[in-house]
Amino acid sequence: MELFLLLELPLLMAMVVFLPQKNSLRKIILLLTSSIHVFATISLWQYPRAVRFNSFLGFDAVSQLVLNCISLLFFVVSIYLIGYLDEKKRRSNRILISCLLGLLASMTLVMMSRHMGLLWIAIASSTLLSVPLVNYYRTPKSIEATWKYLLISSVGIALGLLGTLFLAISATSINTIFLDDILNNAAYLSPSWLKLSVIFLLVGYGTKMGLAPMHTWKPDTYGEAPSPIGALMSGAVTGCAFLAVLRVFQICFYAHLKEFVSPILILLGILSLGIAAVFILGQKDFKRMLGYSSVEHMGMLVLALGLGGGAIWASLFHMVNNTFAKGLIFLVSGNLNQIFRSRKIENIQGVIHRFPITGVCLIVGLLVITGFPPFGIFYSELLILKEALITHQYMVGLFYLLFLSVIFFGYARIILSMALGQPTEGHHQRVKKENFFMVVPLIILLFILFFVGILVPDAFYNLINEAIALLGGK
Amino acid sequence: MWLESALILIILFGIIILGNNRLSTMIQLLALQSLVLSITPLLIHPSIHAFTMTIVTIVLKVIVMPSLLFWAIRHVSIRREVQPLIGYGKTLLLGGFLMGVAFLISSKLDLPDKGMSNLLVPTAFSLVMIGFLLLVTRFKAITQVIGYLVMENGIFLFALLLLEKTPLLVEMGIFLDIFVGVLVMGIIINHINQEFGSASTVNLTNLRD
Repeated sequence: MELFLLLELPLLMAMVVFLPQKNSLRKIILLLTSSIHVFATISLWQYPRAVRFNSFLGFDAVSQLVLNCISLLFFVVSIYLIGYLDEKKRRSNRILISCLLGLLASMTLVMMSRHMGLLWIAIASSTLLSVPLVNYYRTPKSIEATWKYLLISSVGIALGLLGTLFLAISATSINTIFLDDILNNAAYLSPSWLKLSVIFLLVGYGTKMGLAPMHTWKPDTYGEAPSPIGALMSGAVTGCAFLAVLRVFQICFYAHLKEFVSPILILLGILSLGIAAVFILGQKDFKRMLGYSSVEHMGMLVLALGLGGGAIWASLFHMVNNTFAKGLIFLVSGNLNQIFRSRKIENIQGVIHRFPITGVCLIVGLLVITGFPPFGIFYSELLILKEALITHQYMVGLFYLLFLSVIFFGYARIILSMALGQPTEGHHQRVKKENFFMVVPLIILLFILFFVGILVPDAFYNLINEAIALLGGK
Repeated sequence: MWLESALILIILFGIIILGNNRLSTMIQLLALQSLVLSITPLLIHPSIHAFTMTIVTIVLKVIVMPSLLFWAIRHVSIRREVQPLIGYGKTLLLGGFLMGVAFLISSKLDLPDKGMSNLLVPTAFSLVMIGFLLLVTRFKAITQVIGYLVMENGIFLFALLLLEKTPLLVEMGIFLDIFVGVLVMGIIINHINQEFGSASTVNLTNLRD
């Protein structure tokens, strides 16, 4: 039953939405499907963590953790889209909604796949399905962004396939690349091919995650895509790619290659933080800044993985918080876009005076992604630093602190002027008050961030602990 | 013996593509390379499975893809590559260097199946690198797609190592062809040439910091 609701229903609905003539009916189908998806995800909690539907499909604690994030974020975004698409009444939203539902199905497939080849297929199809979403506006700039996204991620996908093939070559003695078989027989994998495979898989899936130096598509794509799509891509699609990286890490852990993979992950992480620090500092465009912020947080995720030990807990906790924080801030940017008709930071001033809810969400969202104390990201950033220091990797710790403080400085300037500065007249005559459907999702996300980041309920805490047990964390 | 000559032919076509600037010649060379490539499964393991692979690759890589590309260059009316990032001579030298690297890497790896030609892995690595080189040094959208296809041919050769062992993986490569199809469609349907004057990615530089 869950298998049908999670995987096949969105796929079926992706075809069904072509039938109705009315845009509003399609939006209702989207909302219904995504709420059913959330319920099915929650109902998975009643089973033991390791669910197997068949040899190809199943869940473990790691994928359940990511699935919960993705499903919730998708649901929130589908509420937001009701208000957002209203603005563009004349255009048919047929392709947009069909691709969104297909994306939901393919992301679920990423979570479910217990076969490294199937995992690759799912990631590749999620890439293909997000292309029409990025190109929704069809302006010259969005075509440019789409082309860059398509080209760079197809190279990433090709490298990922190459890595998968190398993995299969290294596994010729066991003759399968089912994840469970690989993990149980990790000692029989040929080490030289496996090392090569790990490098290619990390670069390939790292491109999808947007790690430096393969991050160049990210600011362009997030800048030009519609804001709710940006929320999904930076929150959910990167989460899928991160799950693939976690699988690679898991294989390395079982094959005793941790010493080999850790320096690569640390290097990618520090490089991403450095690139983000340089470009956030002088950024004039709000959405491009969010793109670099995503590069920063993805860098932190793999850095934490590379440090290992207690930082793996931080990595997963950070991933959950980042998903919802990015969702929140991108949806806020959608509201700002409709109010100010501009993405330039200098044009967006004094939001809180005119639009209190959006303004508060903007401040909170920016505080969360900056890693300000009460929120979860602060805690995971601290844990990462602690792990770097107790494993005596002082250079890593030093660079980490340096880049984080530069990034903090960059954010602080932006937050203060955008939220609190004096509102300039004449920009927001068109929008008198905030749209109901575009405010409710923000409040839901604020609530979730508060819930998972500050309260940390026991069930959620246990889920992360079970997940890191699979990855060799403490 | 036959397999080795086929592999040498494949790599030669790759190098000629690298030194060429007429798009139609490049597409023809690519089609020839793919034709030789699609016979290799039969040379490695003559079986029903290999035969179907040959048929499918001939249809996809030799007939469908080149005609799609020809259609694209007619549609956006471009004939030649603009001045590349690195000159043609230097690109060829770099290509030769990368081939050396490919042989070096392959010598470090042990083949899973001892009976296979030991040229297979270096050829595959070289093709992937040559394709990547084309992709990063050329500006025309179509040339980048050709580079991607050369890379994909290299991946196909790797997949042949697994032809008898894990057959499902070989078919996965076909999925990659869908990607290329979408890339080409992207060029045509979105009329990159109408928006920017020519299908050159040099013009796609409005988004930057």
